[in-house]
Amino acid sequence: MPALVALMVVTLLPTIYLVIVSLTPLDLARPETHWDFSDPLGQYRTVLNDERLHNSFWVQAKLSFWSVALQVLLGFLFALLLNVNSRVLLALRTVFLIPMVLPPIVVAIIWKVLYTPDISPLHWATEAMGFVVPSLITDPDWALTAIIVADVWEWFPFVMLMVLASLQMMPSEYVEAAKVDGASVLQLTFYVTLPYLKGVLLVAALFRLVDSIKAFPLIYILTDGGPGTVTEVTNFYSFIQAFNFSYLGYSSAITVVLVIVTILLSWAIIRLVGWGQRVD
Amino acid sequence: MSTDYTRTLRRERFWLHLLVIVLVLLVMFPFVWLLIMSFKTIDDIFAWPPKWFFTPTLENYTGLWQGDFPASFANSLITSVGSTVIAILLGVPGAYALSRLPVRRSNRLSILILASRMAPPIAFTIPYFLAYRYVGLLDTRIGLILIYLTFNLSLVVWLMRSFFDATPRALEEAAWIDGASLMQGFVKIILPLSGPGLAATAILCFLYSWNDFFFALILTRTEATTAPVAIVNFMNYEGWAWGKIAAGGAMVMLPVLVFSMLVRRFLIEGMTAGAVKG
Repeated sequence: MPALVALMVVTLLPTIYLVIVSLTPLDLARPETHWDFSDPLGQYRTVLNDERLHNSFWVQAKLSFWSVALQVLLGFLFALLLNVNSRVLLALRTVFLIPMVLPPIVVAIIWKVLYTPDISPLHWATEAMGFVVPSLITDPDWALTAIIVADVWEWFPFVMLMVLASLQMMPSEYVEAAKVDGASVLQLTFYVTLPYLKGVLLVAALFRLVDSIKAFPLIYILTDGGPGTVTEVTNFYSFIQAFNFSYLGYSSAITVVLVIVTILLSWAIIRLVGWGQRVD
Repeated sequence: MSTDYTRTLRRERFWLHLLVIVLVLLVMFPFVWLLIMSFKTIDDIFAWPPKWFFTPTLENYTGLWQGDFPASFANSLITSVGSTVIAILLGVPGAYALSRLPVRRSNRLSILILASRMAPPIAFTIPYFLAYRYVGLLDTRIGLILIYLTFNLSLVVWLMRSFFDATPRALEEAAWIDGASLMQGFVKIILPLSGPGLAATAILCFLYSWNDFFFALILTRTEATTAPVAIVNFMNYEGWAWGKIAAGGAMVMLPVLVFSMLVRRFLIEGMTAGAVKG
């Protein structure tokens, strides 16, 4: 089939090429490093010893954990709130699509404006209330939090929509039965709705987790990995190695590690979805 | 008692609506602020306290239109449409074939599709960058169109397959009995039935390509720059031209907002392609 052949050519071949490059110390400034397989695992040894890379794993872990946790929490709460039979709320649902369909670069610009003290209405508002807030994206203590806030804003609607879709298919007998038994709204949420949504929340969280590894435009625009390396996630560090320092060989090795992690996570998603189907 | 109950219910509904509306305003505020900013003069942008009421101006937009931005906007259009068309032409027949194949082979494919959607863009960027350097495709629109196929092709195959799965086989079988060829059955019977699905898939492909920043940032320099990269250039070289940045952002998001409202039913399905079946 031509489509499959094309798919292989545009995705599998480059991946193989990536792995091959990762076995060489390719540095664009030194042409002789091209196709130099004298030390094929050299780049991977560097992966093990590079402290800046290890720091980037840790930054990535913090970013992923907090943004996914908050997206799932907010997405879940907003979905519960919007899951009411009302025409107004149905229309408002569409509005929540906006953050996640916006071009990522526009999201980054939106938050750059809000985080730039000279022109930010937020900085003005906090000042008017008597607080002096430092410029968040240039403050080492706050820069990562600032990125997380923007990322949560962009992507909690994704979780919300997945949960809403699932809630619509929830059999009404569940709720009716619990109501007959005299369950309060809180009990209903904890003992009926939440267990029902477990699967979809997990899948949504995994999708967000995988995507959080790709975080780029927000970091590129808001902090450029800084201050220092406070917001330098692995993907971003790999980009710097490849396209600022032109160490494409080393960057490929880092990227291969990233790809393996994403494949493992994707595999988990497939297993989970399969598991979900067996249940119903 | 029952009127009491309905009264409580109605009150609850009122507070619920109020709460949701307040939340919507909060969530939308950052987005609306950028839009407002794009109509402000540079003095109004730096006004302290921020101005809610001001004389709107189009100077940011006209300024944008007199520079290089239209060329970048055109590049965005050409590469997005080009990649979408190729992905549809290659992917739709493949999706049809897959939909009529035994299940197991298509499962293996779903892993490939999911992996290509999940892989960090840099995984494709490095090999494409090296190959393009060699064959001279850096900073060309064709180069971008090709790399956009990495996600568009799998998206088309996945989404169209689920649409074709939903069209009954009996239809084309009836056509074959009447003497139609395999091709005729597909083109004359199945394809017209999948019109809405095809449109939604094409729009999603367009949106993904249009929203791309990373590939264009690395694979283009001056000639094939797309609109998102052009906006970022306003940040680096022209000393933070906030008005132009805001106006450029508004221009780039306009087609996205229009199109995503058209396909909002398919958005999640497109984003989870490969794992969650619609």
